Amino acid sequence: MRAYLSYARGSFLSGLAYRSGFIFAILNNLVYMTIAYFLWRSIFGDNQTLRGLTFEQTFLYVTIASSLMVLLKTWTDWEISWNITSGSIIMSLVKPLKYQWMMMAQSLGFCLMNFLSIVVPSLIFLVFVFKIPINTGVGLLFFPVAIIFSFILNTTIDYIIGLTSFYTESIWGISSTKDIIILFLSGSLIPLQFFPEAAQKVLKLLPFQAMYHLPLMMLVEPEQTASSYLVSLSVQLFWVAVILILARLFYNRAVKVLRVAGG
Amino acid sequence: MKRLRHYFRLYFLIEAQYIKSKMQYRDDFFISSIGMFFSSLTTIAVFWVLLASIPDLAGWSFNQLVFIYAFYMLAISPFQILFDHFWQLRFHVIEGTFIKYYFRPLNMLFYYLSEMFDIKGVVQLVLGIAMFIYASIKLQVSWNLPLLLLLAATLFSASLVTISIMMIAASSAFWIFNSWPVLDLARRLREFSPYPMTIFDGFFKILFTYIIPIGFVAFYPSQFFLGSQSISTAVYLSPLIGIGTFALAYWIWLKGVNSYTGTGS
Repeated sequence: MRAYLSYARGSFLSGLAYRSGFIFAILNNLVYMTIAYFLWRSIFGDNQTLRGLTFEQTFLYVTIASSLMVLLKTWTDWEISWNITSGSIIMSLVKPLKYQWMMMAQSLGFCLMNFLSIVVPSLIFLVFVFKIPINTGVGLLFFPVAIIFSFILNTTIDYIIGLTSFYTESIWGISSTKDIIILFLSGSLIPLQFFPEAAQKVLKLLPFQAMYHLPLMMLVEPEQTASSYLVSLSVQLFWVAVILILARLFYNRAVKVLRVAGG
Repeated sequence: MKRLRHYFRLYFLIEAQYIKSKMQYRDDFFISSIGMFFSSLTTIAVFWVLLASIPDLAGWSFNQLVFIYAFYMLAISPFQILFDHFWQLRFHVIEGTFIKYYFRPLNMLFYYLSEMFDIKGVVQLVLGIAMFIYASIKLQVSWNLPLLLLLAATLFSASLVTISIMMIAASSAFWIFNSWPVLDLARRLREFSPYPMTIFDGFFKILFTYIIPIGFVAFYPSQFFLGSQSISTAVYLSPLIGIGTFALAYWIWLKGVNSYTGTGS
């Protein structure tokens, strides 16, 4: 455990090396919030609610989604791809540690750095400048747990995507396709409620909504009963199990094709 | 004129080498094209989903939004295809390999950019043309010679605006080294340029029209072709604004190039 934590610490500290980037990353998130504010205000027009959400709820949903995306952007897939194509993965494989957990620990360190440097400043801005009221309710207690599941889902999907580099060096294509699919189908760009009924039914059967939509609804509608949030958490848990099993199966298969030339 | 021919010839020679080296990874082209295809369609999908809940977006119908978006795709294609090397500038600056561009009797910007040609950008261009034709037919835009000339002028200008914004962002590498967050911010801004600028008011309208002129990448120039009743003065600026922003971007690039001292390695 301590060995893995040192990986998390390492990636956390390496994030500090690029401090000048933080200001632009914060600005990036704020620009998104501002544009989203005007866009959704224009969409709502004179309507009090659309698809069961008020403007405030929708705005909270999309801005927290954007911050969550920043939080979860840890480049794990790119890192693995780089390890594989450069051959440096061999140094990780000879260590008495599981490669998957090493990568997850690194991703966690990155995540914490993103949280402190980008997400917290954005949230302060959101609360004080846009003055978005956050309702209180039992859902707020479940939200942090749901975020942990989102993190596991996200890193494990990144891990699987990274492992495709055993077969192809085209990480840009695969990773950006993955980003777009998650962006669009998870509800992080447009709340799931706005999709046509039939599409919503399909989206609720996919793992992507468990990454964004389910946790976000805990924040947007925190006054539901605890049991409804427990249902959300179990859906997340189900997908965590499925994705982890897939990752293990894929790794066992993919690692067999590894050939590292010299060193 | 002779100089221009010389540059053209060199461009193809350098580019040919790049394409040859890329041919090793043929499946990369295929997979990247799929990635490009999906990312190009996201905004259209957003418009489609949104317009299922509301009749129009700030007064613009789905087909009109497709037209503006297609214009945007055509305007960003030259950047995507010919200027893709800007994304790598930070690596060259950090590692010190940028120094080699000083040692050739060529325009540095030209030499730097000629080393890369983004094949997947062609997918974007083709998709943009297809959407443009689709929206033109649906909206019954009656194309004639003056309108086509205006299209060429506005597209040229809009391309220069995109190129300039990204060039300024990439040039920040000369001062802050890791220019990725700046480029990402510029891209984020650019991605919102196909949204109707009329959703903004006050400060932000001025910001996105005159200070960071993303409105000129697609929204303002497309007004010429959409037959809108109220055309703001910004629209008439659109064929000209590109040259001004490019001059500024080139000046910043030169400043950066001249202040770069290498890494000492």
